[in-house]
Amino acid sequence: MPATTKTNFQLVVNGLLNENPIFRLALSMCPAVGISTTVANGLLLGVAVLFVQVFSSCTISLIKDHIHPRIRIPTYTLTIATWVTVIDLVLAAYVPVAYKAMGIFVRLIVAFAIITMRLEVFACRNSVSASFWDGIGMGFGFMFGMVTLGAVREILGMGTFLGYDVLGFRPLLFFVLPAAGFFLVGIMMAVFNYVETLYHRRGKRES
Amino acid sequence: MKEIIKITIALTISCLLAGTVIGTTFIFTARAKQQNEHLNVEQTMLGLLGYGKHSPAPPELNLHQVHRYIVKDGDTMRMGYLVPVRKGSGQGYAFVILDLKGGFVEQYDLDLSSEEALSAEDRKKALGRTLKAPMQFDFADTMIIACLGEERTAYLLPGEFPGFKTFIKAMVALGADFQLLGLEVIEHEEDPGLGGEITQDYFKNQFVGKSFDKLKRLTVIKEPLPEDYERYLRAMGKDKGGLSTDEVAEIQKHYLDQDIYALTGATISSAAVTNGVKAMAKKFAYRIQILDQAVDTGNVPVLF
Repeated sequence: MPATTKTNFQLVVNGLLNENPIFRLALSMCPAVGISTTVANGLLLGVAVLFVQVFSSCTISLIKDHIHPRIRIPTYTLTIATWVTVIDLVLAAYVPVAYKAMGIFVRLIVAFAIITMRLEVFACRNSVSASFWDGIGMGFGFMFGMVTLGAVREILGMGTFLGYDVLGFRPLLFFVLPAAGFFLVGIMMAVFNYVETLYHRRGKRES
Repeated sequence: MKEIIKITIALTISCLLAGTVIGTTFIFTARAKQQNEHLNVEQTMLGLLGYGKHSPAPPELNLHQVHRYIVKDGDTMRMGYLVPVRKGSGQGYAFVILDLKGGFVEQYDLDLSSEEALSAEDRKKALGRTLKAPMQFDFADTMIIACLGEERTAYLLPGEFPGFKTFIKAMVALGADFQLLGLEVIEHEEDPGLGGEITQDYFKNQFVGKSFDKLKRLTVIKEPLPEDYERYLRAMGKDKGGLSTDEVAEIQKHYLDQDIYALTGATISSAAVTNGVKAMAKKFAYRIQILDQAVDTGNVPVLF
């Protein structure tokens, strides 16, 4: 795949809509299903993934000419592991309250497919600035997905939002279970596909 | 062959770089982490004594830290206690040495300020200045005596004991008669969901209120928690959980004399905590009595 021709803004929108990691690329669905039980969880993990994605993309883009082709994957894994450790230590030191709730999951970011895939497909072929904006787009796309799922699951499952009691009762506790996560991801994918079909239909009609 | 060498070199350099980055971050964040831990410990201690956001600690509350050391004088082994004492109108520190049977041997005045006494390094230096060779000392553990004014209200014991996986760090609060006021699990490496449930209220609250006699013989019952007991344990500390005052009193009376119900799927962790708490309480009760006797004999003007 040759280097990208998109502008920086297009890269960000791309990560958010066209190639949303969870709903279009269908990557990293494990956290999307398992950890998006509340908005706070989704937000915190989204921020952590954003940081790791941006830093990893920029690092690999910086050293892309020096990576021996036979050890690409170990190099990616090493970079991601380093940045995840850094984020983990920083979160533990400066936001201890949030870290207590999310600490176990931050370390799992190493295994997320989206980050490795983005490094392999994009960062090792593009400039640092393009990789930076692509990382931002992907990170925000992931965060958007997690927060949306978290919001739906928290309001419908627990009646709260960000911990504050909104409804006063629990509509359907089912939404807190992982099965509901799967259903919701499927529904969101359908929504994204439908919007894209509409967009294309409108585009065809105008041309 | 050349490829393999290139790959090895590349991987080694990458690992070294990664290590440098991680190490630098660790150094920068270590201090903030220590401060957080310190605050956390203070909050835990006050929480165990019953103070918190809604009932702040009164100004007469004093947490006197007593540190135990093992002293080697040539061939003889002795116990040393670093205690806060009355010095003039203020507070000073003394090191009281007892023999292994608890008899008073001698005491030394220590050149230590209140701030320095909080740091293990400074305590070691002060002791090093006062105790001349061939005396060697090794830190053993700490006990905290909570006093409201002149009267003792509680004892706080930080301690560590082996768990199912590695170790469990906990803090036990004992009352003036050594009955258990509270238990807090500070650090552990047990499995989340199984042994990790030892941090949950419905497990910890089983220990609360047990008399010292019961603590000395505490074991683990390999049965699930009875439903009414579980409701009571979860509600303890918050509202009564829908139980009337009579029901609470009855449940308390019935279960206070029982042993600890083990966690489902975590018998060994439950037994580890039970035995650890039992050992801590027994050892402390023995030591504080010895210390009190020795301090009386030696006329050490301790603050507790």
